[in-house]
Amino acid sequence: MRGARILTPIRRDIEGANDCCTDAPSHGVRRLPYELGAKPGTETSPDIDVEEKLKEAFARGWSVIVWNDPVNLMDYVVYVFKTVLKMNEAEASRHMWEVHQLGKSSVARETREKSEMIVHRLRGFGLNATMEQSP
Amino acid sequence: MTTEQIDSEHWRLSFDEHEAAFIVTVLARLGRQYQDDPKNMSPALRAFWDGRITKGEATSPKEQEELADAQELLAESRSELRSQRLSLIENWIQEYELAENRNPWQVELTNAERDEFIAMLNDRRLLLAFSIGVTEADMDSDPRQIPEEARRHAIMEIDFLGHFMLVMLGPQIHRP
Repeated sequence: MRGARILTPIRRDIEGANDCCTDAPSHGVRRLPYELGAKPGTETSPDIDVEEKLKEAFARGWSVIVWNDPVNLMDYVVYVFKTVLKMNEAEASRHMWEVHQLGKSSVARETREKSEMIVHRLRGFGLNATMEQSP
Repeated sequence: MTTEQIDSEHWRLSFDEHEAAFIVTVLARLGRQYQDDPKNMSPALRAFWDGRITKGEATSPKEQEELADAQELLAESRSELRSQRLSLIENWIQEYELAENRNPWQVELTNAERDEFIAMLNDRRLLLAFSIGVTEADMDSDPRQIPEEARRHAIMEIDFLGHFMLVMLGPQIHRP
């Protein structure tokens, strides 16, 4: 990332975050204790299965990482963080400096689906963004 | 070039005759780049357009499968993005060709179109950078001192476009 020789990145909110998550289970939706047509008594711990899937879908176990590059301008990166991630100026600037000085910054920690959506948005603005499972 | 917020939803960009001709030329070139078949791109450009969802390693076969799906989705969305941006370019070039007054050439954009416009100028900068393999040293040097003509022109264009982006972002840059 470079400073302003003459010049510096993006934004858009993360509204519609759930648009990308149509396969994510919703609260309040429970599967039947056994599949229709299956014989009673043959179910395999459905409650545990549903709970595990819900836990997995909503766990904020993925970090979105933005990597340094020689072309994106610093002010542009701040703009993108404010737009996409709804960061305030100070927070966006802090992450921008982290990218610039340390080579990368973890800018969000979300569910897998939401992290994917954020990576798509950041890449749409030209930032080198990836996601990693958090330890 | 000047930028002015008309209301909470709209912006007006004004370019003088030379700036307008430059921007339209850049948009036309970018439009051709958006239409390039990824199979014919250099590895660096193709990697840029396909994107990379993760640099980490999957810890299980299930995760590996999920990440492979996510990678495919990312590549598809990047491809759709190029098509959408190509349509915007075609509209803007048509507006320019039909404009009775090109000095200044004025364009009115919604907030979303303005974001796209800025991101597209940045696309062009990144594509130029990938095509010549730009480095930090290149970006910190005086482009006039770069002996190789193609490289010099590319870096000057990257700088000019960066300048336009900063002018557009100007009202929203608040350095503490």
